[in-house]
Amino acid sequence: MLEGWAQIGHELSKFLTPRLIFDVIWSTQLGIIVGMLPGLTATMGVALMTTLTYKFASSHAVLILICMYVGAIFGGSRTAILINIPGTPANAATTVDGNPLTKQGKAGYAMGLATTGSFLGSIVGVLMLAVFTPIIGEFALSFHSFEYFWLAIFGVIICGTLTAPKDPLKGWISGFFGLFVATIGMEAMHAFRRFSFGSVDLAGGIQLLPAMIGVFGFSEILMVMKQPAIKIVSSKIERVFPRLRDVAKYWKTVVRSGFIGTVIGAIPGVGEDIGAWVSYDFARRSSKEKEKFGKGSVEGLMAAETGNNAAVAGAVIPVLSLAVPGSAPAAVLLGAMLIHGIRPGPLLMIENPGFVYEVVSMFLLATCAMFILGLSLIRVFVKMIAVPRQKLMPVIFALCVIGSYALSAKMFDILVMAVFGLIGYAMKEMDYPVAPVVLGIILGGLLDSNLRRSLVLTNGNILPLFTRPISLVLFLFVLFTVLSRTRWFRNFLETLKIKIVRKAILREKI
Amino acid sequence: MNKADFVTSIFLVLFGLIVFIMSVRMPTFQETGASVYSAPGIVPGILGIILSFMGLILLVRSLIRKGYKIRISSQKIRVFLRSGSIKRLFIALFLSIFYVVLLGEISYFLLTAMYILVFIFAFEFEFRKNVRSQAKILLFALFEAVFIAASISYVFQYLFLVGLP
Repeated sequence: MLEGWAQIGHELSKFLTPRLIFDVIWSTQLGIIVGMLPGLTATMGVALMTTLTYKFASSHAVLILICMYVGAIFGGSRTAILINIPGTPANAATTVDGNPLTKQGKAGYAMGLATTGSFLGSIVGVLMLAVFTPIIGEFALSFHSFEYFWLAIFGVIICGTLTAPKDPLKGWISGFFGLFVATIGMEAMHAFRRFSFGSVDLAGGIQLLPAMIGVFGFSEILMVMKQPAIKIVSSKIERVFPRLRDVAKYWKTVVRSGFIGTVIGAIPGVGEDIGAWVSYDFARRSSKEKEKFGKGSVEGLMAAETGNNAAVAGAVIPVLSLAVPGSAPAAVLLGAMLIHGIRPGPLLMIENPGFVYEVVSMFLLATCAMFILGLSLIRVFVKMIAVPRQKLMPVIFALCVIGSYALSAKMFDILVMAVFGLIGYAMKEMDYPVAPVVLGIILGGLLDSNLRRSLVLTNGNILPLFTRPISLVLFLFVLFTVLSRTRWFRNFLETLKIKIVRKAILREKI
Repeated sequence: MNKADFVTSIFLVLFGLIVFIMSVRMPTFQETGASVYSAPGIVPGILGIILSFMGLILLVRSLIRKGYKIRISSQKIRVFLRSGSIKRLFIALFLSIFYVVLLGEISYFLLTAMYILVFIFAFEFEFRKNVRSQAKILLFALFEAVFIAASISYVFQYLFLVGLP
């Protein structure tokens, strides 16, 4: 245990050079700006930054991407508090109590609290990242082809369920569509070109980054341009630094939200928005001041912001230990790590044990930078919210295009970005979540190779997929997640509950 | 949404079936001594069936909710096309696609600058107003277009050593 902390200290000292500190500051600030601007998401920011840093050394590039990620998730709280529009989906829960505080003339105070909440949430998340990643990684060493197959299915199903809570069927369709997209191109076992229709470009497969820039970047540009313009009302910003007693008063909320946010973030494909909402909901239920929620509750604001930033570090836990992303920006981060030759997954702790601690120290640096930048220069950067979308969106699209092209200098990748942008737009219009598509593209290779490998090993016998202990647990999880969303299963559970209650009453009478 | 679901579900069922048929037709490589279970069509075939099945559920659900009652009239189309949001969407979409299509045909710097300029112009310029009164908008758009196009070109070409499209 102590060895691990010493390792973190050692890795941290390696990053304390003027050049890297400068990079931490600008990338975190850029992340805050990206998060702050409605229409620009953390995923889009990390994806575009991946293309801008791919020539950098691996740890240098990953450091910048983590700073961008942490900064963007925090930055979205600015617009959520000031104009009631979450800068990123992760800050939707922040609007509920953040904006009422602005209306009460406490915009600066709310932003200071949000900054502190984000900082503390991120610290809780980082601690859990440091403790649990090696443990999960070690546990995952016992995974074989059968378990990896179910892990891929589990990721897609759980992500589909949680990103489309109203209609999970659409989430699952998105996820399986993503898995299908991953099968396009030359497969690994026989080098057979699947669904390439004679095209050399398609035979190379659909690259993750252009597809991701398309579904998160181009589609978002179209969505933003379709919506009516946002009217920015300027708010007076007074005291920003929060009082220590206000923060200390809600320490239980901070710890609880940090824990919940990290756990939710670690669930494949779920993301920071759900982390924030669940933390907020738990805080409301256990609060002594329930009536203040929705009317400018400090506790509610702290819970939401602690939850979403804790989820950032949480989302990276499965990235490092299982090579399965916990959120959409974490999926881009995973893609970036692969581009830089880092192989996250169970073997990471054997092949490159220092990397986990390197990531922990990167998160610590990003968190500190976010806290300092979040409490300073607020008045200057808040003015950026007023940048009109018609001036911003063509620049973003130009970056989407060149970013897609830069990785392998192929015009085909630009085409992929544009096509996936249109698919993403159509999906968003019809209430299909796009995050499961990206997760599907990432997990598709894992599912394909492991299912075929396990079938070859067992000579077509599918029983081990259901009888091996970890496989069985994952299968039951998948089955329960799917069944729990069907009406007849819920009716069945309700009937069962009534029967049990009746029996208990009868027993009491006897 | 039920009408959209009805159309999408039909597309999904057909798409899944096509994927399944194409997967079945893929070679199994048994003649090379490989196991039939390593055939490249296995996974996409299963995915095709799952997509078709989920499409079928969506289809049944939309039929129950009477999503098949699609009535398209010329008036509805006219109202749809005249709405401000659709106009904004089509302008953004048209300009962006046009930009992608022309990439590689014209100088990257010139095309990017033109794209940004026309994009800002299309959304900010008001034809009813006097041109002189809007000179500031045009000048700012021109400055932004040239500055951004030059910055992107410089960063990618000289710092990242990427040949521009």
